[in-house]
Amino acid sequence: MTITMVKAPAVSISGLTVAYKTDAGELPAVSQVDLELAAGTITGLVGESGSGKSTLALSLLGAVQKPGRVTAGSVVVDGIGDMAKLAGEELRTVRGAKIGYVFQAAQNSLNPLKTVGKQLLDLGKAHKVRDLKGLLRHAKDLLDRMGLNADRVLDAYQHELSGGMRQRVGIMFALVLNAHVLVLDEPTTALDMITQANILQIVRDVHKEQGLTTLVVTHDVGVVAEVAHKIAVMYGGRIVEHGPVTQVLAEPRHPYTRGLIHAIPRLTGDISAAKALPGTPPTLGTIPKQGCVFRERCALRMEVCETVEPPAQRMLDGRTVACHAVKEGAA
Amino acid sequence: MTERVARVSVRKQFWRGVWRALRRRPSRLIGLFIVLLFIFMAIAGSWFYPERLPYDAENIYAPISWEHPLSTDFEGVDVLALVITGTQGVLLVAGAAGLLTMLIGTAVGLYSGYNRGIGDSILMRIADFVLTIPGFPLLIVLTTTISLGSWWKMSLVLGLIGWGSLARAVRSQTLSLRERGFIEAARGLGLPTRHIVTKELLPNVAPFIATNLLMAVTGYIYAQVGLYFLGVLPIDTSNWGVMLNAAVFQSGALISPDALPYLLAPLGAILLLTLGVVLIVDALEEIFNPRLRES
Amino acid sequence: MMTGFARRLAGHLTRGLVMIWVVTTFTFVLIRLMPGDPVQVQIERNIAMGMPPDQAEAAAAVTYGFVPHGPMWKQYLEYMGGILRFDLGVSVESQGVPVADRVLGAMPWTVVLVLTGILVSFLIGVVLGVIAAIKRSTVVGHSLSIAGSLLHGVPPFVIGIILAALFTRQWRLFPSGGVYNADEVAPGLYFDFIGNVLYHAALPAAAYALATYGGWLLAMRSSVASVLGDDFLLAAELRGLTSLTRFRYLARNAILPLFTVLAISFGLVFGGSIFIERIFNYPGLGMLLFSSIGSRDYSMMSGAFLMITVAVIVANILADLLYSAIDPRVRRQA
Ligand SMILES: Nc1ncnc2c1ncn2[C@@H]1O[C@H](COP(=O)(O)OP(=O)(O)OP(=O)(O)O)[C@@H](O)[C@H]1O
Ligand SMILES: [Mg+2]
Repeated sequence: MTITMVKAPAVSISGLTVAYKTDAGELPAVSQVDLELAAGTITGLVGESGSGKSTLALSLLGAVQKPGRVTAGSVVVDGIGDMAKLAGEELRTVRGAKIGYVFQAAQNSLNPLKTVGKQLLDLGKAHKVRDLKGLLRHAKDLLDRMGLNADRVLDAYQHELSGGMRQRVGIMFALVLNAHVLVLDEPTTALDMITQANILQIVRDVHKEQGLTTLVVTHDVGVVAEVAHKIAVMYGGRIVEHGPVTQVLAEPRHPYTRGLIHAIPRLTGDISAAKALPGTPPTLGTIPKQGCVFRERCALRMEVCETVEPPAQRMLDGRTVACHAVKEGAA
Repeated sequence: MTERVARVSVRKQFWRGVWRALRRRPSRLIGLFIVLLFIFMAIAGSWFYPERLPYDAENIYAPISWEHPLSTDFEGVDVLALVITGTQGVLLVAGAAGLLTMLIGTAVGLYSGYNRGIGDSILMRIADFVLTIPGFPLLIVLTTTISLGSWWKMSLVLGLIGWGSLARAVRSQTLSLRERGFIEAARGLGLPTRHIVTKELLPNVAPFIATNLLMAVTGYIYAQVGLYFLGVLPIDTSNWGVMLNAAVFQSGALISPDALPYLLAPLGAILLLTLGVVLIVDALEEIFNPRLRES
Repeated sequence: MMTGFARRLAGHLTRGLVMIWVVTTFTFVLIRLMPGDPVQVQIERNIAMGMPPDQAEAAAAVTYGFVPHGPMWKQYLEYMGGILRFDLGVSVESQGVPVADRVLGAMPWTVVLVLTGILVSFLIGVVLGVIAAIKRSTVVGHSLSIAGSLLHGVPPFVIGIILAALFTRQWRLFPSGGVYNADEVAPGLYFDFIGNVLYHAALPAAAYALATYGGWLLAMRSSVASVLGDDFLLAAELRGLTSLTRFRYLARNAILPLFTVLAISFGLVFGGSIFIERIFNYPGLGMLLFSSIGSRDYSMMSGAFLMITVAVIVANILADLLYSAIDPRVRRQA
């Protein structure tokens, strides 16, 4: 098998709005999101629970689940097209083969009644892989590299694998068909620190070796600090700040990013300085319909925040911030 | 005080949920109406009809008329009157047996799920045993020695045979509440066991009790009708089973078209009652099992 | 060291034996200790008919399988010993006919009916259950569920009566009783005979199928609904598996829990056999139990009841072993 180093594709999301149908009508979980995943980079997407991270991640595969749907915008992947418009066979063959997805609950992402190996063959057949032996070899190779006993794992059922092992099997499934876009939804949640570090190491290595464009979704800023080049901060369905990790972490601009980072002692290094953000994140029904979605919890709240939604402004240092209180040059 | 308010509003929300589920499909309101109708027939039947229904040898298998909307039987007794008076005894027994089932099933299920351990395994062995015993054959074997025509004996036997599945359902529900940390959290707050069981657990398992109980009571009704239908109980009361027995095995309603209403009336009553129960259970399930709720 | 499978089987057998013990003890109590003690009644009747007392007692001893005097525990042990040797006594009604013979003779007919009925209803119920779950927010799905619940809720004798009325009286398409027509065919393993047996079994088997398929439908519907919410199906979709493969994943996972329902349904179905066999005049175990009760043939009654219980226990064990053979979580236990 020859691994041709295709240049990783870039992903550009623009004006994306995803809404879920609820008893109270169709409510947006993702609103007017513009986000560029530069080719070959790892982007970390952070935000509190319910901020819309998974919804955004799923829309990268055109897989927003009912009762949700993409109501506006596009997700263009280089060489494939707009994922929001793809459908049927075309969409199916892209999933898995071109874009790999590691499920938020990767712990439960395997069919409990089939061995990992059999499910791998199902995957191969679904994507018309002719060289199934080669596929197996590739899978074993990936599993070996992730520190697993490949033969044992391929012969195992889900219940015979630990959480960390399942997670790695999930990553193997996402990569074994040589996808060049990788989406990981909370790859390390519910894992112990060592396994977590191990998995992140694997993500970093594989990303580099295979030349991927990667999106890592997490609510743990620490994870982003460890693996990502870029960070996107999500709140109430909006990307409120987006930029290079080192810059954003060192000098967060959006008041929400600041709160998020100050809430974590191991980043600021000073436990006494760590303080939790006041209030609770909004849910689908309580996201304000107009004005800034963060204003309820914001220390810098101004009059304009009540009525006008802050546009994403491009700063001189290359990042984007959506806040009325942040002016160019202000820290 | 605030706790009370919270509870009241939870209750209000619950009733609102019930109402919404009922309204979502009008068929469910019909179900409620049917079941209430049968209960009404059981209670009010004896007000309208005398202890012994009048018979009229001149008027056997009378054609359908205002006077006899469902025709008459082989003795000239009004079939509608038979159907209506037949509900009382059956419903009384089924209700009493249901109460007994509810008491045993809930107590065993809660105890097992809450305490687990050795008591749980013993009780569940017993519950499995009760579940495996072929209930109806046991019932007809019992008719040979216990006079199951007596309402309280019948209720007792039915109730004792039928609690297994309710106990299992309540236990597994209690266990799942436990897994979700319900019980530990309440214990952590220092709440006494009695409070946890009556205020936290019971309200949460109540839906399962309701659904199971409704099915159990229906099952008891049919068990009695079945016994009379087979003719293993003394025929001294009005019962749909007695009518079926006479229609199928004796008067030959299966052959003579004149007697058809006499066969169809009890069949229709059973079908109607089942329909009512099914429609209510359908609503209950939607209220308590959001996964089945359609979007 | 026992394997998980053997341990499971051993557990089942122990529980089954305990159950059989309880049931036989119950029948003993019923025969010997209940008011109106049937053993005593038979002895007195024999004496009244002119038999000397010791001969009358000997006759009762043959009928019930224990000598009816002396300490009660001795009688009990004797009775249990008989059961262990599968000596179920002799019929009261038809003197000289061993109960075991009659019971074993009736058994296969019931088993044939019950098995064909359950098999057919399982297939129909599972397919319709999948449809009901997938289309649950449409009229089709909802009507299927309601129809399923209705058939599940209606007692089996109602279904039996309706089928009998329509197909044996109204249209006379099927025979109204018996297991085969002795005037037309003689027993043997050839086409005509088997056809005749099937012809006689068709209606009662259909009654079983109709009475149970609603249960399968409902169980399958809720099982499918719960598997549909499982993460692995979404994961399979996100890996680009074909919809056929995904459907197979769904179906296999959803059917599995039904095997535990299968165990429970056997009890109900064997219980229902009394009605079905009575309505269709089909000489199986249920009919045997029914007629022995009508004639107060206590030894026959205990035998038939015991056999029905054994059948339910065996069916339960088979259903559970089948389940554990299919589910890898059980099969591959260390
Ligand atoms: N199937 C659904 N139906 C209705 N609302 C939904 C559905 N899925 C998600 N939502 C809502 O959309 C919003 C965003 O959900 P999403 O799963 O994207 O959040 P998240 O950021 O991934 O959270 P978490 O960190 O908990 O995974 C939430 O308010 C959630 O309630
Ligand atoms: Mg998520």
